[in-house]
Amino acid sequence: MSECIVITSGKGGVGKTTTTANLGVALALMGKKVAVVDADIGLRNLDLILGLENRIVYDLVNVIEGECRLKQALIKDKRVETLYLLPAAQTRDKNAVSPDGMKKLVAEMKKEFDYVLIDCPAGIEQGFKNSIAGADRALIVTTPEVSAIRDADRIIGLVEAAELPEPNLIINRFRAKLVQRGEMMNKEDILEILAIPLLGLIPDHEDIIITANRGAPAAFDEKSVVGEAYRRIARRVTGEKDVPYVALEEPDNFWSVFKRWIGLAPTREASQ
Amino acid sequence: MSSFFDRFFGGRPTGSKDEAKSRLKTVLVHDQVGLTPAQMEGMKLELCSVIARYADIDKDHVELRLERINNRLAVVSSFPVRRVLSRPAAI
Repeated sequence: MSECIVITSGKGGVGKTTTTANLGVALALMGKKVAVVDADIGLRNLDLILGLENRIVYDLVNVIEGECRLKQALIKDKRVETLYLLPAAQTRDKNAVSPDGMKKLVAEMKKEFDYVLIDCPAGIEQGFKNSIAGADRALIVTTPEVSAIRDADRIIGLVEAAELPEPNLIINRFRAKLVQRGEMMNKEDILEILAIPLLGLIPDHEDIIITANRGAPAAFDEKSVVGEAYRRIARRVTGEKDVPYVALEEPDNFWSVFKRWIGLAPTREASQ
Repeated sequence: MSSFFDRFFGGRPTGSKDEAKSRLKTVLVHDQVGLTPAQMEGMKLELCSVIARYADIDKDHVELRLERINNRLAVVSSFPVRRVLSRPAAI
């Protein structure tokens, strides 16, 4: 059974593209045949995060307008055999695509792939409408900040209005130490407000910057904690139950245990 | 969680996350309901004029907002009273 999942957020800069890239890599590493689609027409970036920017010949708009076949536009990743990218057009704008065009494209892609992941542009207008048109379900990416959560709430409403099933939430850029100090909303606070099921929690980590610099998503790196967080999200996406969350804190040392003991630091459970 | 320090110093101040959460809850209710600020202001003025027939109220400190209480939308308001009128105006 194949599935089209749109990764969306409302607000820009919360990590949709990074999430799409890492989830694509992680699912492909599990042996699934995956296509990641950059639907951000005119602001192409998924290719860069995946390190495939030098191999683009055709793009999504070329396929939709019939200027090339789907197979000609798909870029095959050389690191993991079952991962393909359909890049966005860089010199066109979002009006070059319609919801109907996207629906047809997604239907064609679902015949070939287990998962079609759509990296949705920021905003709630044409690009968003195109991106959700062919999707079977949505993943909402947010960060623990008031602006991102407000926009996520708006997007959840629009996803439900489009009659997609209840979306799942990914909380990105989670900072355990700020949460411990009570200066950042924790997982429960965010879930209380947004009231949709959580799919995963991604720590705020320098790996994201470094892997973007290199064009090699963290999900490829077995030692990366962020990579592991994405690999676990991928397992949950495939329906695996009870995948534990990654540890979001520094390992214990003498001082952290001592501080917790005298009450200077909150207990571990309180922080996540 | 009550800790050693909390007991001795009367508790630490709560972090900014509680403020974030309560501000978000308020703004989301308003986003979801879709009443414009002008409509909220209109409701406030009309309610003020009704209450003013019975009591002298401090119109500068009237509060009116939407909240979700037990999963139901509620209009929560506060009309500070200076004094109740001895002879309420005829309706």
